[in-house]
Amino acid sequence: MSDPRELVGASLRAIAELNPRLNAVLRVNENAPAGTPIAVKDNIVTTDMPTTCGSRILPDFVSPFDATAVARLRASGWSIVAKTNLDEFAMGSSTEHSAFGVTRNPWNLDCVAGGSSGGSAAAVAARMVPAALGSETGGSVRQPAAFCGVVGLKPTYGRVSRNGLVAFASGLDQIGIVTKTVRECADLLGVIAGHDPLDSTSSTEPVGDYAADVDAGVRGLRFGVVREAVEKLDGEVRSNFDAALDVLRAGGATVEDASVPTIGYAIAIYYIVANAEASANLSRFDGVRYGHRSARARTLRELYFQSRGEGFGDEVKRRIMLGTFALSAGYYDSYYGRAQAVRERMRGDFAAAFRRFDYLLTPTTPEAAFRIGAKTGDPLSMYLSDIFTAPANLVGIPAIAVPSGFSRQRLPLSLQIMAPHFGESALFRAAGFFERETGHWREAPPVS
Amino acid sequence: MKITRDEAKRIADLAHLAFDDAALDRMASEMTKILTYIDQLAEVELEANVGQASDCPTPLRDDTIASQPADPARNAPEWDNGYFVVPKVIGE
Repeated sequence: MSDPRELVGASLRAIAELNPRLNAVLRVNENAPAGTPIAVKDNIVTTDMPTTCGSRILPDFVSPFDATAVARLRASGWSIVAKTNLDEFAMGSSTEHSAFGVTRNPWNLDCVAGGSSGGSAAAVAARMVPAALGSETGGSVRQPAAFCGVVGLKPTYGRVSRNGLVAFASGLDQIGIVTKTVRECADLLGVIAGHDPLDSTSSTEPVGDYAADVDAGVRGLRFGVVREAVEKLDGEVRSNFDAALDVLRAGGATVEDASVPTIGYAIAIYYIVANAEASANLSRFDGVRYGHRSARARTLRELYFQSRGEGFGDEVKRRIMLGTFALSAGYYDSYYGRAQAVRERMRGDFAAAFRRFDYLLTPTTPEAAFRIGAKTGDPLSMYLSDIFTAPANLVGIPAIAVPSGFSRQRLPLSLQIMAPHFGESALFRAAGFFERETGHWREAPPVS
Repeated sequence: MKITRDEAKRIADLAHLAFDDAALDRMASEMTKILTYIDQLAEVELEANVGQASDCPTPLRDDTIASQPADPARNAPEWDNGYFVVPKVIGE
């Protein structure tokens, strides 16, 4: 089935069959051109489908241009067949904050798919599409990839153009990739990576042959286990992680304790820095130029307040409020300033650890996928889902989530591998070895 | 950090967000809980090197108009003859 027309048809049929149970996809393009099918998170703009950001404030927005990553996909023979569900404006860890309903986990329909790129991860896991783009600000590709048993990559900050990715926190945001296998992920990064004059934060670092070392093995490579992250873990996440370390040792790698003393502050830093940036970025949604406009507003002030009050969901409002607070007079130094200072110290801690090690390791998440509704009443508990993933965003390094087995409830578990800036080829080398030795990617979920 | 309802109202005004009274109380309570967690950042000892610029240079482009103008009317809630229409601003 290599005929590109047939591939798109098969993908559209799989979406039609499975999506009523999963709600991974918000919209399909029935007229998608021939090509290799791919789904794109619905905060990445496309000219042939609306972009909702999972929000009622953007009910029918159609972008006048394609995101750079989308344009590069199209130019390389990929066909955008669907836009995927997400937490509103990518703010969440479960896709329960989408205005268009929760995405369900294909391994267990009572569990979340993770988030915010839950739709992208569920769509790939369920074999609706061979690959999907997501976006990362604090773990939004790796965490749902872990929950759904697929590969999730957050590239180095600046590796992929953010032009056309609706901004959440511009100093952290990065387009990421979800695939079934490491090699597919490496090939796809080669397509979308590279400098873009339309994103001044995109790097001029040359694009590598990312799949070149996928089969090279790990003999002689040095892996550091982030002690402060794993010392409090127990149960099956811990035993699964320890078994993953044994796989690397058996391949000839050295695996030793590493120390990143500030890693435990990642969530506290993240929820100041990300929300401060979000409060500024989301000020553009004001009911004037695009998006929802309140029908009740009689004055300009009412138009701003009512349009935003009606259009944004609770989690987005909560984050705008926290970010506005952190930047407000009297609190800027003690919250935003301090968070940036601790972030800088964490950057130093990672740099020191990477002088001793080629890679740093943690589980991708502290637990397997949780049940729908389990954390929606407690925002802080939801935030802590990203405790192992947020550090890579804060320091700008690449990281990959690769399936590492299953819990007793038959929910996927995942190993996170982090590398220094622009170390994507090295990441694919280690992840490729681990995937080959363990072979979890071959297992398909019950809904697929 | 305790956020009172008055403080939440002040922030909501800055953020241009409308809340009813019950939502404002809920927001103040949730923000208090989250900021109390964030307050652990105060315990970190910071060294003198904090605040150094990144060693990654930011590439700059010439400040010229390069992209094609989009059709702003297409996504506008209300549009008239080249302008976004908003409620009367002066003398409201």
